[in-house]
Amino acid sequence: MLLKTLITRLLTMIVTLFGVAVVVFTLVRVAPGNPIAMMLPPGASEEDIARLTALYGFDKSLVQQFFIWLGGVVQGDFGTSITLRQPVDQLVLSRLPATLELAAMALVIALLLGGTVAVLGARNRGTGTEVGLDLTSGAVLSIPDFLWGLIFVLIFGVLWPVLAISGRIDPRIEFDFATNFYLIEGLLRGRFDVVGSTLSHMVMPAMSLALPLAAMIAQLLKQNLKGELVQDYATIARVRGFSETTVILREALRNAALPTIALVGVQFTFLIGGTVIVERLFAYEGLGNMAIDAVINRDLPLIQGIVLLFAAIFIMINLIVDLSYTLLNPRLRHG
Amino acid sequence: MTRTVLDIMNLTVNLPNRTRILRDVSLSLEPGEVRALVGESGAGKSMIGKAVLGILPPKVRISEGEILLDNEHLGAMTPVTRRNTVARMSALIPQDPLTALNPLRKIGPQIVDPLRRIHGWSADKARARALELLDRVHIRAPERVMASYPHELSGGMRQRILIAAAFAPSPRLIVADEPTTALDVTVQKEILKLIRELQRETGTAVLFVTHDMGVVAKISQKVTVLFAGKVMEDAPTEQVFSGAAHPYTRALINATPSSADPSRSFTPVPAQLVADLHREIAQDDHLYMTVTS
Ligand SMILES: Nc1ncnc2c1ncn2[C@@H]1O[C@H](COP(=O)(O)OP(=O)(O)OP(=O)(O)O)[C@@H](O)[C@H]1O
Ligand SMILES: [Mg+2]
Repeated sequence: MLLKTLITRLLTMIVTLFGVAVVVFTLVRVAPGNPIAMMLPPGASEEDIARLTALYGFDKSLVQQFFIWLGGVVQGDFGTSITLRQPVDQLVLSRLPATLELAAMALVIALLLGGTVAVLGARNRGTGTEVGLDLTSGAVLSIPDFLWGLIFVLIFGVLWPVLAISGRIDPRIEFDFATNFYLIEGLLRGRFDVVGSTLSHMVMPAMSLALPLAAMIAQLLKQNLKGELVQDYATIARVRGFSETTVILREALRNAALPTIALVGVQFTFLIGGTVIVERLFAYEGLGNMAIDAVINRDLPLIQGIVLLFAAIFIMINLIVDLSYTLLNPRLRHG
Repeated sequence: MTRTVLDIMNLTVNLPNRTRILRDVSLSLEPGEVRALVGESGAGKSMIGKAVLGILPPKVRISEGEILLDNEHLGAMTPVTRRNTVARMSALIPQDPLTALNPLRKIGPQIVDPLRRIHGWSADKARARALELLDRVHIRAPERVMASYPHELSGGMRQRILIAAAFAPSPRLIVADEPTTALDVTVQKEILKLIRELQRETGTAVLFVTHDMGVVAKISQKVTVLFAGKVMEDAPTEQVFSGAAHPYTRALINATPSSADPSRSFTPVPAQLVADLHREIAQDDHLYMTVTS
């Protein structure tokens, strides 16, 4: 049963990725801007241009180019970055950990913050506290992630400079990283200066990404909690003497979380999309930042590689959401 | 002073606009007694149970009167004490067994956790008690049922589980709010029998909310008849059925199709009678508003 689902999903994934490959490949070539012209100094000879164009295969037809590229991709060869002159897969994989750590941190913050506000709102339903929390989350939601970034930079970077506003880690720290998961590796190897510096660089971009999602979770989860708290099983728990907080946390929360998960999954993919601009804002060395450079430089192989990777990440998130939904729901688990 | 399990004295329950949902309701239950609470839909039967158990809907308030559980004034207690007292002394058997169990939690903890909380028992002791009760309500594989989720069990099974859970902490009072209405007719009888057996064995008093006068005759010793939140009649069950009843009660009896004898004719409650009662209530309301404003 589960196996069949997995195989179906895997096939769907391949088809989706192929579609994404076609679209991105076409789009980057239709868009104006010649990557070769940008590589050469002004006044380069026609000959030079022709040579370089041939080197990157841009002289062939679009269809030919696509299948050459796809043939490479299937064998794990994503081509070479035009500007950075390194294999695309190495470049992309070296940046992926930074973005994953940032997105995961943002998700954790959003879940904790949104969950807490939802529980507080449900606990104080019908009071001014609930109204206040609703208004606050409504206001938070109306400000997009990059604006939060600017606000944070202004407050914690300029007015009261306590946090790092640029990069991923203090360059003065000497540490021989085995991976690019700075935070995780710092934690595992007990280097708390690394952890501290990484966190100081990560807090603002992570918060910027997390706040809108937190507000959305707060609203939806609270609504679901209120729906669960009028159910008979909650009433019975109250008659058994359990406090309202216990009723919420132990009885209602799981039931309310289940329908929230689907939304969190979708919103989390938006959050990952948001990393592109937020990483740029904080000069955070992740995939998103690299994507913007790639677009500016018309680095076609690199753009293609990054977009494919983002697509794969989105598909994985959807898969994880579906699986966790099944695992958390006993009615589906045995079905 | 006799030791009543439940004593409701002149209970009035209001909405914020002073609309009365219960009007000066009094009733009491002796240990081991079953009192049926009857009346048409919306009469306030469930509201009485909710007032006793401290689960009135938001905005619905007790404006006058007293509720004594085991001779202790609930109104005089702090919220936490009241909650603990109610949990120790009483339990609820709800109407709909499908929504009364948490769908995402296994049956076992749903019975065991309250026992541990109410009596401070160890996990083993609470579990043993839960198994004992499940066995008592004729659940064949109690161990397996404890490890199941609600959706894996039938409606009748779930209601038996809820009965077991209600009796497990040995409460002095059980509020059973139409516990058979949501069940198949065949299961209804079985559940009714089970509640009566357990109630007799344990000497638990039961406030039994029902629409069905047939059920009243089978299970209760006393009857309270409610109309628009007002007590129309409070009498021993046999007296009510021997004919010496308030006209409204008699009309209710005549209006109940007999499950034992479906061929027996029944007549709806006469509209004139209902209109007269409503007029009486309206006059009473007018007086209430004048006096309390
Ligand atoms: N949450 C609430 N807020 C305001 N009024 C309510 C609320 N719940 C019930 N009522 C009112 O209180 C009255 C009594 O309701 P109650 O549920 O006690 O009726 P009942 O006798 O149990 O009826 P039924 O047989 O349909 O269960 C009804 O008139 C109803 O309109
Ligand atoms: Mg009711």
